[in-house]
Amino acid sequence: MSAPVVVCTWQGAGDDVAEETAAALTLGRRVAAESGTELRWLVLGPAPEDLVETARSHGVTVVDTFGDARLESPGPDAVVEAVARYSASRPAALIVFNQHFGTRFVVPRVAGRIDAAVVMNCTDVELAESGGFLVTAAAYGGDTRAVYAPDPERTCVVALLANAVLPEPVETPAQAPPVEDVDIDVAGVEERVRIVEQARSEGPRLEDAEIIVAGGRGLGSPENFKLVEELAETLGGMAGASRPIVDEGWTDSAHQVGLTGRITRPALYVAAGISGATQHMAGCSAAKTIVAINTDPDAAIFRYAKYGIVGDCLEVLPEMIRAVREAGVAR
Amino acid sequence: MASGSMLPMRIVVCVKEVLDPDAVGAYALSGGLVVGEDGKTLTQTTIPRLMNAYDEQAIEAALRIREGGTECTVSVVSVGDDLTTLLRHAVALGVDDVHEIRPPEDEPDCHVIASLLGAWIRTSGGADLVLCGRQASDDDQGVVPALLGEMLGMPVVAVARAVEITERASVMVTTVTPDGDETAEAALPAVVTISNELGEPRYPTMPMRMAARRVNPEVVEPDSISEGADLAPRVRLVRQYVPTVKGECVLIEGDGPAAQATRLVEALVGDRVLQGRP
Ligand SMILES: Cc1cc2nc3c(=O)[nH]c(=O)nc-3n(C[C@H](O)[C@H](O)[C@H](O)COP(=O)(O)OP(=O)(O)OC[C@H]3O[C@@H](n4cnc5c(N)ncnc54)[C@H](O)[C@@H]3O)c2cc1C
Ligand SMILES: Nc1ncnc2c1ncn2[C@@H]1O[C@H](COP(=O)(O)O)[C@@H](O)[C@H]1O
Repeated sequence: MSAPVVVCTWQGAGDDVAEETAAALTLGRRVAAESGTELRWLVLGPAPEDLVETARSHGVTVVDTFGDARLESPGPDAVVEAVARYSASRPAALIVFNQHFGTRFVVPRVAGRIDAAVVMNCTDVELAESGGFLVTAAAYGGDTRAVYAPDPERTCVVALLANAVLPEPVETPAQAPPVEDVDIDVAGVEERVRIVEQARSEGPRLEDAEIIVAGGRGLGSPENFKLVEELAETLGGMAGASRPIVDEGWTDSAHQVGLTGRITRPALYVAAGISGATQHMAGCSAAKTIVAINTDPDAAIFRYAKYGIVGDCLEVLPEMIRAVREAGVAR
Repeated sequence: MASGSMLPMRIVVCVKEVLDPDAVGAYALSGGLVVGEDGKTLTQTTIPRLMNAYDEQAIEAALRIREGGTECTVSVVSVGDDLTTLLRHAVALGVDDVHEIRPPEDEPDCHVIASLLGAWIRTSGGADLVLCGRQASDDDQGVVPALLGEMLGMPVVAVARAVEITERASVMVTTVTPDGDETAEAALPAVVTISNELGEPRYPTMPMRMAARRVNPEVVEPDSISEGADLAPRVRLVRQYVPTVKGECVLIEGDGPAAQATRLVEALVGDRVLQGRP
């Protein structure tokens, strides 16, 4: 049998969204089935509670757990070494990671350490007719898709974008797969980057918000960001922003939604005075309902929105605040 | 290492020439972005080429370190063709020397680029600090700095908003995380990638621009530095396309913003996205 497909999740780095794990396993299972090989799930650090059930319902052949205490919190050097040693003992055809802040900068180092091919921002992996894989990735902030052919002689490492693959459990799950502890010791690995002052998460995070009201350059001036904040508060949600207004200092970077900001998945995303550039949409297109308020009827944001108001957000936002109050709306 | 008793540090900044992402975005927004005849490159000649914005900020970070009193030289290096204009811009910003490494084949991937950058750094006197952009705005990969760190055996600190050299020959970096700013320290030599939170890069002055016009980058042929380096790409671009987004937006009409806002809230309550008053 050819080398396995490995899905690697790492809770210590924030791989705690069950849907994302399910998406990576779904992709892994499809590629493994097409290439007639097994699907292994490498779990770094603490295992998710429903480990065995998740593995079973996604057709995982073997679960490899790697419970070293060093992996409980993100120590990038230990993780790079752990995956490199795992991969040396069980060479994989494909290793799939989920891409988010905790893995974004570690995955390419893993690839470098094991001299693998690597593609970030991956949205899909298929088998090429000539053998090997074809990896599709978002480029130009999402304006284009690039299809790469990794060298088939090497392991290919990909980082899967959130929401690119729809999670699909198998219809009739087989038996629960065996869970094997990986016997690799990374205790001797020294972290070369020392955290002097840890980031203090202050309050709720946009990533977890159910409702986000975001503003962009169409707000016209910094004071008007208040309208965004007020509607967000009225709805019991959080305020977000496009990058230009963060760069201009209208609000701080914790509010930036997008490719290089927060990747959010709220139930409701209200975009006021935001054009809908792909780099922005990379951070909110997974919202279940997008509402756009924009003066330009041709603005790209309307292509993503379920509801739109063509109009001046400085007039519409206050009216929305009023309408929400009047309706006594909450989620 | 402001003590001055040591050799000046060497900072190397890696910069990439990219298509102006705003122009690409504008074409994409208007539905006019097209892939060239080869099926994989954007060839619209009206899209200007410029320095990847994060790389310009990486130069800015280097210059701030120098102005902060650290004795250092700032070298800028890029892998690509016809980079004179790009690298003169770096000179106008105030860097000390600029180098253009010719790629060995048409489409070097991140591995080839990192290998060349690594080989050049090794053969040209090494580096105490390597600064890169967090990602190139064309491929968005953010892979080259990580590979470079692995090749050179240097730690990599990603997405910095501020970089300082300490007395202990280490680098103190403020990084941007989803939970706010974090401060991290790594012994030199190290690779640091710069994010846009660093702030606006300086604008070159007229005299600096005039002076830069007389400077030509040192052109480096890959053969001269890459002995023993494996320059086979690990990935090849086979195709590029513009994805379509299907729009199904319901425009809320009405007599003025008040009526529209009321209808919108009703629609959201109707969809159970919001819960109305019982
Ligand atoms: C590498 C890279 C990474 C990036 N990362 C991000 C990112 O993470 N997040 C991000 O947001 N951007 C990011 N960008 C920038 C992105 O490309 C866009 O430039 C940005 O999202 C545009 O912000 P905007 O929509 O607020 O402004 P604009 O594009 O200027 O749009 C303003 C909109 O407001 C509308 N408008 C004007 N007046 C009014 C009014 N009175 N009422 C209602 N509407 C009005 C206009 O019609 C227009 O559609 C990135 C760019 C690059 C190159
Ligand atoms: N051709 C190149 N020449 C020099 N530096 C590069 C090149 N390509 C990428 N880099 C550096 O690596 C960073 C990340 O690029 P990438 O991995 O392509 O997203 C860039 O911001 C540059 O600092």
